[in-house]
Amino acid sequence: MSSVYSGDPIPSETSTPSREGEVDRAVWYKDAVIYQLHIKAFFDSNADGVGDFRGLTSKLDYIQDLGVNAVWLLPFYPSPLKDDGYDVSDYRNVHPQYGTRGDVRLFVREAHRRGLRVITELVVNHTSDQHPWFQAARRAPPGSPKRDYYVWSDSDQKYKGTRIIFTDTETSNWAWDPMAKQYYWHRFFTHQPDLNFDNPKVLRAVLRVMEFWAEMGVDGFRLDAIPYLVEREGTSNENLPETHAVLKQIRARIDARYANRLLLAEANQWPEDVRPYFGDGDECHMAFHFPLMPRMYMAIAQEDRHPLVEIMQQTPEIPDICQWAIFLRNHDELTLEMVTSKERDYMYRQYAADMQARINLGIRRRLAPLMENDPERIKLMNSLLLSMPGSPILYYGDEIGMGDNIYLGDRNGVRTPMQWSPDRNAGFSRADPQRLYLPPIMDAVYGYEALNVEAQARDPASLLNWTKRMLAVRKGSHAFGRGRLAFLHPGNRKVLAYLREYGEDAILCVANLSRSAQPLELDLKRFKGRVPVELLGRTAFPPIGDLPYLLTLPAYAFYWFRLATDAAPPEWHKQMIVPEEAPVLVLFDGWLSFFRDRVVPWRKGMAEKLRAQLENEVLPRFIEAQRWYAQKGEPVASAALADHAVWDVGGISWLLTFLQVKETTYFLPLALGWEEDEEHVRSLSAATVARVRQQANVGVLADAMADEAFCRHVVKAIGGSLALPMDKGTLRFTPTSAFAELAGDEVATLTPGTLNTQSTNTSVPLGDRLFLKCYRRLRPGINPELEMGRFLTETARFPNCVPLAGSIEYAAGSGEPATVGLLQAYVPNQGDAWSYTAAYLERFLEAPLKDEEHGAYLTLMQTLATRTAELHRALATPAGDPAFEPEPLTGQDVAQWKASVREEAAETFALIEKSPHEHAKPLLAQRERVAAMIDACAAPAKPALKTRHHGDYHLGQVLLVSNDFFIIDFEGEPSRPLAEARRKHSPLRDVAGMLRSFSYARGAALLRAESKDGSLDAWEAAARSAFLKAYFDAAAGSGLADSAADAQGLLRLFEIEKALYELRYELNNRPAWLHIPAQGLAALAESVKGD
Amino acid sequence: MDRIEVMLEPVRVFMRQLGDILPRLALAVLVIIIGWIFARMVRYAIAKGLRAANFNVVTERAGIDGFLRDGGVNADATDILAALFYWLVILASLVIGFNLLGLTYITDLLGRVVLFVPRLMVAMLILAFGAYFARFVANALTAYCRNVQIQDADLLGRLAQYALVTFVVLIALDQVGIGGDIVRQSFLIVLAGLVFALALAFGLGGKDWAADLLERWWPKKKP
Repeated sequence: MSSVYSGDPIPSETSTPSREGEVDRAVWYKDAVIYQLHIKAFFDSNADGVGDFRGLTSKLDYIQDLGVNAVWLLPFYPSPLKDDGYDVSDYRNVHPQYGTRGDVRLFVREAHRRGLRVITELVVNHTSDQHPWFQAARRAPPGSPKRDYYVWSDSDQKYKGTRIIFTDTETSNWAWDPMAKQYYWHRFFTHQPDLNFDNPKVLRAVLRVMEFWAEMGVDGFRLDAIPYLVEREGTSNENLPETHAVLKQIRARIDARYANRLLLAEANQWPEDVRPYFGDGDECHMAFHFPLMPRMYMAIAQEDRHPLVEIMQQTPEIPDICQWAIFLRNHDELTLEMVTSKERDYMYRQYAADMQARINLGIRRRLAPLMENDPERIKLMNSLLLSMPGSPILYYGDEIGMGDNIYLGDRNGVRTPMQWSPDRNAGFSRADPQRLYLPPIMDAVYGYEALNVEAQARDPASLLNWTKRMLAVRKGSHAFGRGRLAFLHPGNRKVLAYLREYGEDAILCVANLSRSAQPLELDLKRFKGRVPVELLGRTAFPPIGDLPYLLTLPAYAFYWFRLATDAAPPEWHKQMIVPEEAPVLVLFDGWLSFFRDRVVPWRKGMAEKLRAQLENEVLPRFIEAQRWYAQKGEPVASAALADHAVWDVGGISWLLTFLQVKETTYFLPLALGWEEDEEHVRSLSAATVARVRQQANVGVLADAMADEAFCRHVVKAIGGSLALPMDKGTLRFTPTSAFAELAGDEVATLTPGTLNTQSTNTSVPLGDRLFLKCYRRLRPGINPELEMGRFLTETARFPNCVPLAGSIEYAAGSGEPATVGLLQAYVPNQGDAWSYTAAYLERFLEAPLKDEEHGAYLTLMQTLATRTAELHRALATPAGDPAFEPEPLTGQDVAQWKASVREEAAETFALIEKSPHEHAKPLLAQRERVAAMIDACAAPAKPALKTRHHGDYHLGQVLLVSNDFFIIDFEGEPSRPLAEARRKHSPLRDVAGMLRSFSYARGAALLRAESKDGSLDAWEAAARSAFLKAYFDAAAGSGLADSAADAQGLLRLFEIEKALYELRYELNNRPAWLHIPAQGLAALAESVKGD
Repeated sequence: MDRIEVMLEPVRVFMRQLGDILPRLALAVLVIIIGWIFARMVRYAIAKGLRAANFNVVTERAGIDGFLRDGGVNADATDILAALFYWLVILASLVIGFNLLGLTYITDLLGRVVLFVPRLMVAMLILAFGAYFARFVANALTAYCRNVQIQDADLLGRLAQYALVTFVVLIALDQVGIGGDIVRQSFLIVLAGLVFALALAFGLGGKDWAADLLERWWPKKKP
């Protein structure tokens, strides 16, 4: 996790300073997530009952692991601690309870080492009455510079228009000092006299304090109570221009002397009053957004987005380099100063029915108790916080859902010790419980025995681990910290939906504020064509189209979507609507309209035009968009009808066409669906070729594979051994001996399932019995899948392949027949082993603790290996068929194979040399090594066999069926000619293919998780050895290969061959995946060395 | 000597006549052979031309080809039309040939046959396009009736088609000149019968309705 981000925040000596990096570093606070904590409450290292710097330093790993990148420390200066340290009595020292200045220095260094910034408090509005400055001032004569450090008056009637902040304890902003015989000014407690910033000496002293800590390495200062610095008669004494003048001087000083430091203004004001604290980018870098916080609570209480939308709309624009600081809870009460009195009443009733929970103008509770410990609501609130504009601040303990103690007086209820473990004092301190500065929470729900870091760290579903995941996701996009905010306005008011946009990046956040499930429709036309990818699970949702985007949310749920331009839509997604822009073909005589010699004389011209439109416009556009079009990316100029037949079965007819696209012939059956039969048109619309009109009838022309009746009639035709004459050739439907058993007697009622167009073939399941597969590209010659299927079904009776029920072949002239379609038995399955493995590895990467040994997975792989060996044994059965008869493997064979792999290596390296991908070039250095490796592959010493084999064996070619495997797709590698797939070879080629597939599964899982986790190396090694062992065990005695040791050389040769093939494939298609075969080659080289 | 003369005279005359007729005969045979070759060429060209012009599609759609097939004829209408041209040329060459030989009676006879062939061709064309038109009208009518949801749309279409085909057949027959009056009269009888049948059907079926109508227009005087 840490490696993802560790390079960023702190300038280290080793990093090369780039222009962009410098800018990023200077505005680090824009992408920051800040963790706010009390020294005294975090960890006690010396068993005195109070947390300290050494304790905090020892827990820095925890903070770093959480995923935050800044720590905000509450005041740790010497103080009488009457206001939680905000009454400072010495600005330049550390309270002895917390440690020494040396401890602080160590802490700052350690934090920086972990990429964490440090923010401290600069409490300059007031000091403690114990501060030497005040002691000197009260003794100095009136008017002297020393007395002028503070604000004095002879009467308590000055500045009458000023409000009192702590209404519960204070009655006036003036207090009488008997020694000075004058009143002194204090905006907060009586013991906190306000400094007099009209006195230039005060400002100078304050600046020196700031420099002192900046020298120590502190990265940012929170300016406490900043609106109250200066006083003027006749004003409210808040936000005065003179105060801003002081701030500008502070900023100018820090900018002049230090780089990348932060000023964070605490101004509990309305947004328009806070705006001046940013100046023109020349006052504070950040300021708290106080009014947003209560409105998040209000929105969720009222189950209405209005409060949030309203306050964000009232929020003014701030300069580019500035940022809001946002929070849910902090060390003070949940302040309700920034809400109307009506809203305040509402909030009190909702969140603080117990009077004890109220203090001043707010509520002294933590997040979890406010949310009644409902994990969904806590998560929802956090998701809002992390996705609203601004840098979020997390209050310590809220990441584990800590509770509070409202009976502790003042705001101490939310300042109790951090709950580390169920041990004594919550693992916070080894001191006697009585000695603690505050007792830890001990109730049944929030008590430290039930709720602590240790327990949550081990629970993958805990709030702590959830928070870590959320923070990791948030780091994935700058849009969260820097993006623009735009609210969407779905009709359902209980749902809050907004966009965060930064450059091309767009994040869509949707949150259900209500306690019941909610639907919503979003107008996302602007992003038409983009694919929403849910960020937590990285799940692709159907792409955005013209219609309102429909989502449903469970109670208190939220989604974050990246509106991706580069992600693929989910595999099962189908464009269900007839594309508006599909061209219209005007028919006048059904299918015959396309054939000039089949229409009445006066319509020949029309027929010619229509045919040209079909061949030069309609079909080319359709074919380009199909997965089965082999020359992807290359536009189709024309698709000429090389052969055709109108297949009429009484009432319905289809046009079966063979289309010539350059050198290649494709098979495309076409169906017409007319508007009156809506159901029919809808089922065809997924495969629409064009819209059609014949007189007043409107309809679609579509791929007939999507037509229910067509599929059914194909099955019938196979059952009836139909030979359909075409214009030039013949289409032959042939059943196998297994047809009757597989098809049963309900062919007429079989309902086709959804069409699968995601591969080079198109396939459709028929009921739960049959599976019709249509090859699009015509490859003359005996189709190995048909041949192997026949052999395995009828001769060898191998139970773990899909039985063949029939075939469709096309023969034209004297040439070899080409296979157009296969009818197989449908095997209900749980998907292929590739998707199963991908999902398994994804789960494993997310929660690697559970099954370190991969026991269950390896058992499955052993089964797979056994089935593979059984397949090879079946293929080696002598049955008198020369195409399948096993032959002994000779040394000559091996020499020949080696020569061809050598050739492939040369070809591959030549391709790399020519390729524009620079990151592929280092592979060239491997040339010698690969050649040596090929030479080193030894032929087996004991007798072995050459047989037919699968040819393109990998995890995607086996179906998982209730913990067993079915082997499918005997076509061989699609890019090699059919004859090559039919030659006899060592079956170990299949084994090597599977081993390479494990390596691919590992690489793909790491790519997907964007991680470099080494734990998958162990998985790959375990899967390899389990597979090999089980394979050779099951193959023993068959004569295929003598033993694993004897076959090792051959196996390695085939692995090299496969890796070279993969290298070529990735170079041409997916350069980003190149490293997977490259690593495979490297690993092979390692294993050679190991021998 | 004279006797030999006398005996040789008829031979001489015969030879002379033979000498007269032989070149003409040879010429006639030549004309007929050329005519036969030309006829084959014409048949081929006409068949090709008609097919290129999709005439076969018209006759097929008109149902004529199907009709012929059902009747055991191996050729379609195009072939028949081409054959007619073939015979036209053959007959024309025969006429020329016989004319050369001076066989005027046969020439006359053949001439009448030759004149009949074009009428046969025109009749065929009328039949082909007429039947196609009948089928087209039938389809259009059926489609329209279906759209306005009239029951028996198919039946109405069929009726229209058969009526049109009947007319077309009559016109074709008229063109060929077969039947003449008989056809015309039987057509009139059929038409009159049809009208009478309709009148009867409406009269009987609409008796009450007509009575009601009459009652409303001229109410009976109340007794």
